[in-house]
Amino acid sequence: MPQWVKEDMGATSLAFDCDAELMLRVRDGDGASFALLLDKYRVSVAHFLYRMVQDQPVAEELAQEVFLRVYKSRESYEPTAKFTTWLYRIATHLALNWLRDEKNERGQERLDEVAEDGPVREVADRAPTVEHQMVRQVKLEEVRKAVAALPDKQRAAVLMHKYEEMDYSQIAKVLSCSESAVKSLLFRAYETLRVRLAHMA
Amino acid sequence: MNCPIKTQENREWLLEYSAGQLDRERTAMIERHMEACPACARFVEEQRVVWDALGQWESPELSADFNRRLYQKIDQAQPSSWLQRFWRPMVPVAAMCLLIVAGVVLHTPTAVVNPVHSHVEGVEPEQVERTLDDLQMLRELSMTPAQEANSSRPM
Repeated sequence: MPQWVKEDMGATSLAFDCDAELMLRVRDGDGASFALLLDKYRVSVAHFLYRMVQDQPVAEELAQEVFLRVYKSRESYEPTAKFTTWLYRIATHLALNWLRDEKNERGQERLDEVAEDGPVREVADRAPTVEHQMVRQVKLEEVRKAVAALPDKQRAAVLMHKYEEMDYSQIAKVLSCSESAVKSLLFRAYETLRVRLAHMA
Repeated sequence: MNCPIKTQENREWLLEYSAGQLDRERTAMIERHMEACPACARFVEEQRVVWDALGQWESPELSADFNRRLYQKIDQAQPSSWLQRFWRPMVPVAAMCLLIVAGVVLHTPTAVVNPVHSHVEGVEPEQVERTLDDLQMLRELSMTPAQEANSSRPM
């Protein structure tokens, strides 16, 4: 591993060491290393994409495209940043493109349709906890809608901050902006969410 | 410390504190500040509600055949036979050769000859004169007597 890569990785470099090393092996034709990376990150990438696009089949297709691109790019891979930064940059890029195309094609109608007809409001049976489940589903629906209403970049920043536990610096690298821009994105996003979800206290 | 909300200094500490991610030293500073600052205390309280609400949002399970479908796509993206694998790197070389040949042909002045032009250049004046005479004779032979009379009539 080159010295400059180690410097870039900093103190929390153990996981990166591992992933970048695996990816370098993939570059050298080791399919087993690709399988390890796939098993390690497919769920988190797919969940991130699901929360971005809020459509499970689309999220799975995009997740497949992410790993397909990782595999196709293996020969030109250079560990210039953490592996997860590279991975989420691909995922975010795909999600933002999909959202842009979707907005161009169908506007916000689709989200509203899913909100009304989606599985979250379905109640399978009349179990004793049905009321509790319904309250929970309504709350989740509100969270989902509040996140969906955020501008795309703010949404991506919040999802990486909350669910992927990325620090500001890594989010900045994924979104190709400065750390202060990320802090600003996050503050605006959380401000909106605090207003929309205040009644859930 | 200065109020993070009023001065916008270290605002991220409030986010990290709300998420329980702030280190011990800064946590103590924020907590001391919040005792005297209701605005920051309210911020933290509301931010915790958001943080907890987001925490309840689970994603659906991935399809069981996720890996199988992915590897299928990877296989489709690969060159299908050894022949393709062999020829794919040859395509740029072939294109380069074609360009070189095209360049040589276009930049050689004697390589392309215009056949019409060369034919005209090779015709002698006597030959043109003879051809015109032949055409005149053919026209006269093909005329009917009436046409002949009309053509010889003065205008």
